[in-house]
Amino acid sequence: MDLFVQLFANGLVNGSHYALLGLAFALIFGTTRITHFAFGPVYALSAYGCWLSAEKFSAPLPLAIVAGIATGALAGALAYLVVYRPFERKGSPPLVILIASLGLFIVLENAIGVAFGTDTKVVPAPPSTVFLWGPLVVTGVQLAQVVMLALTGALLWLYVTRTRFGKALLAMTDSPDMARIVGIDTLRVSLVAFAVGSAIAAVPACLILVKDGATAHMGFIAVFMAFVAVVVGGVGSLRGAVAGGLALGLVESIGMAKIPTEWQNSIAFVVLFVVLLVRPTGLFGGR
Amino acid sequence: MDYVLHVLVMVSLYAILATSFNLLIGYAGLFALSHAAFFGVGAYVTAILAAKLGIAFPWPLLAGIAVTAALGAAIALPALRIGGDYLVIVTLALQVILTAVLLNWTALTGGTDGIRAIPRVELFGFKLDTPGRFLPLAVVVAAICFAVAARLGASPFGRALKAMRENEAATQAIGKNIVAMKLSVFAIAAGLASVAGSLYAHYVTFVSAESFTIELTIYLLAMVILGGTGNLAGSLLGAFILAVLPELLKFVDMPPDIADKMRQIFYGLLLIVMLRLRPQGLLPESASAHHYNAPSERPPVDAPVAAAALEGRGLERRFGGIVAVSALDITIEPGRITGLIGPNGAGKTTAFNLLTGFLQPDRGEVRYRGRSLNDLKPHRIVRLGVARSFQDLKLFTGLSVLENVLVALPGQRGDHLAYVYFAPWVVRREEHHNLGRAMAILEFVGLGERAGELASDLSYADEKLLVVARLLATGAEALLFDEPLSGLAPNALAKVFPVFKRLAASGRTLCIIEHNLDVIRELCDRVVFLDEGRKLAEGTAEQLMRDPDLSRRYFR
Repeated sequence: MDLFVQLFANGLVNGSHYALLGLAFALIFGTTRITHFAFGPVYALSAYGCWLSAEKFSAPLPLAIVAGIATGALAGALAYLVVYRPFERKGSPPLVILIASLGLFIVLENAIGVAFGTDTKVVPAPPSTVFLWGPLVVTGVQLAQVVMLALTGALLWLYVTRTRFGKALLAMTDSPDMARIVGIDTLRVSLVAFAVGSAIAAVPACLILVKDGATAHMGFIAVFMAFVAVVVGGVGSLRGAVAGGLALGLVESIGMAKIPTEWQNSIAFVVLFVVLLVRPTGLFGGR
Repeated sequence: MDYVLHVLVMVSLYAILATSFNLLIGYAGLFALSHAAFFGVGAYVTAILAAKLGIAFPWPLLAGIAVTAALGAAIALPALRIGGDYLVIVTLALQVILTAVLLNWTALTGGTDGIRAIPRVELFGFKLDTPGRFLPLAVVVAAICFAVAARLGASPFGRALKAMRENEAATQAIGKNIVAMKLSVFAIAAGLASVAGSLYAHYVTFVSAESFTIELTIYLLAMVILGGTGNLAGSLLGAFILAVLPELLKFVDMPPDIADKMRQIFYGLLLIVMLRLRPQGLLPESASAHHYNAPSERPPVDAPVAAAALEGRGLERRFGGIVAVSALDITIEPGRITGLIGPNGAGKTTAFNLLTGFLQPDRGEVRYRGRSLNDLKPHRIVRLGVARSFQDLKLFTGLSVLENVLVALPGQRGDHLAYVYFAPWVVRREEHHNLGRAMAILEFVGLGERAGELASDLSYADEKLLVVARLLATGAEALLFDEPLSGLAPNALAKVFPVFKRLAASGRTLCIIEHNLDVIRELCDRVVFLDEGRKLAEGTAEQLMRDPDLSRRYFR
């Protein structure tokens, strides 16, 4: 029983990480229908922004995380403006934009490697708080991962339900074509989706930096898990992406009672495979 | 010298990978990100069989093909029903899980150490242990692989793949089994990638997971895009350029790991720039010039056919809470033209979808020639003799006018890989005959002069004619046209009317959805009036038009 409680807690922690990634990816993918592979290296770039502020400019950790988030938002917005937007204006088919995003993926990933080297970056004095609640062991960073999901999710929810612009964003995740028809300024909405989505992804990036450190290649698995969370949850649904991410984390963690750790990602694959076979619209996708 | 030969060996291997990748992306339009994984499976199967079990070339290569082809088909399965982004994620997942297996199943794959000391190939007592000695084998195998891919691409099967790339629903509507096509092309592309992997393992004598990452897939993608999608010769060129060009970086003084990263940045930028400036690649896909080879004899197009009625009984279909079609009894008699009319949203297109298997009825039954069509896939129904067109045309715009018709001809043995590879003369003879049939159909609808043009270059009226020609080519006797005449000017209509009348006179079973009452009056022997999913009236055009209630509904 104690083991189960611990596994459940771990699953919730990792699930929160995936859920944030999924939420960020769903926001971008849902509003723009761009399969943004460079989401991965932009996520990595945020972690490096955070690391640079903490290591080179000796910023305190919270400030460094803010810097990381700003890095992500800027990089995401630039990716849209410089790479994707021109293709959209030309009316390129989705496949072409997808291939361009793979090109951007490999450019950014290697640029990070050239600029920062291939060693793992860690923040100078990572917080080492540990909470012991009965049988449960939770580190401060793990707790932060769950709290940040709740906080970010709540903020985003307020944004898309209470502000005019946020509502336009939500309308576009529901039906991009319809949004275009009713006259929503899709350039601005897309730009905001990229900036906000990348900023959201920067949160788990900074937390992973604090927890495990950052590498140039950390982006690939992030974009993969984000994509899986979105597909499992149901394309076009923000709530679905969060639920999908949490479900992935929990299944992985509970599965690990029986399966060695290094097969973790394979569990996500099995979940994806089963969901696509049984319920191709995703757990929460209506259409 | 060895260095140059080494680069040439790598060019040969990349040529195999790029051409097979192009089959998937450029021909079939299937965007799979698993090519490096297929390459890796081939390499590891060879490494395990050759290094651990001492099995000699070529058996590990053949085993690799079998394993990878099966894997390629299996992995595609869940994504086949939905396609698009789902295929991307499933193939990406294969890449992730393969890396996990290679790194973690240490007993089989050596884990992070990989597998070393893979025996070199020995042929006729020669050990192929230098690049110079390996090169002839690599070139010969690459040539064979290219021939396999090129034969596929140039066959009727390859043409059907391109049609599928242009439009999946329309490909089903001309009677092709697109699931089987996708599985076949996946298996072949994966098998070819595996051949490259097997050669690679023997050549480098060492394999590890780092050689088979997503970055390699993107590298191959850059070759395909640079060369030109849908053109296999382009992929050879792309492979050559991208394998040779980065070698020039060797002359720039920088640390090897930085050089490697700069190389990858270069590929990435190249991808983006090519897509912006020349998305069709250096060697663009070319429309074929088949029409020059057409035989002079033209089989008759409107020869009399045995007649049969298409019947729907008690058809019902709901979408959520909305009843799209309800209690619909409809009989489409042979030898005449039945018009299906009604206001927008009346359920006309849904009725077509139900009659042709694109939707399954919640209730009721569709019957043709004494058998039920319920639960049959659209392509099966087309082969049984019931075909339909689409309101939004769904032409294969990237194919020529002639190819749009050729691809739709029924019962092509060239659609079967066994004939394509093992009885090419049968396919060639059939193709020659089919060219005559296709030209006859095009001339019948008045598009004979346009045979060699791209379908995307046709005028709107000619597009509509091509839709008729393509549907006619399926050989089905019951033809359902969804608004075949809408938007046509009177002079264009005058060209099309006789086509429909001659088809009805030949005994075919015709149904058209139409809004223009003049057209209905001119063409239709019988008219069915639908509104809100129900049949409100049936009779001649004159009878229905006299009914004030119907006119009110129609013009409201």
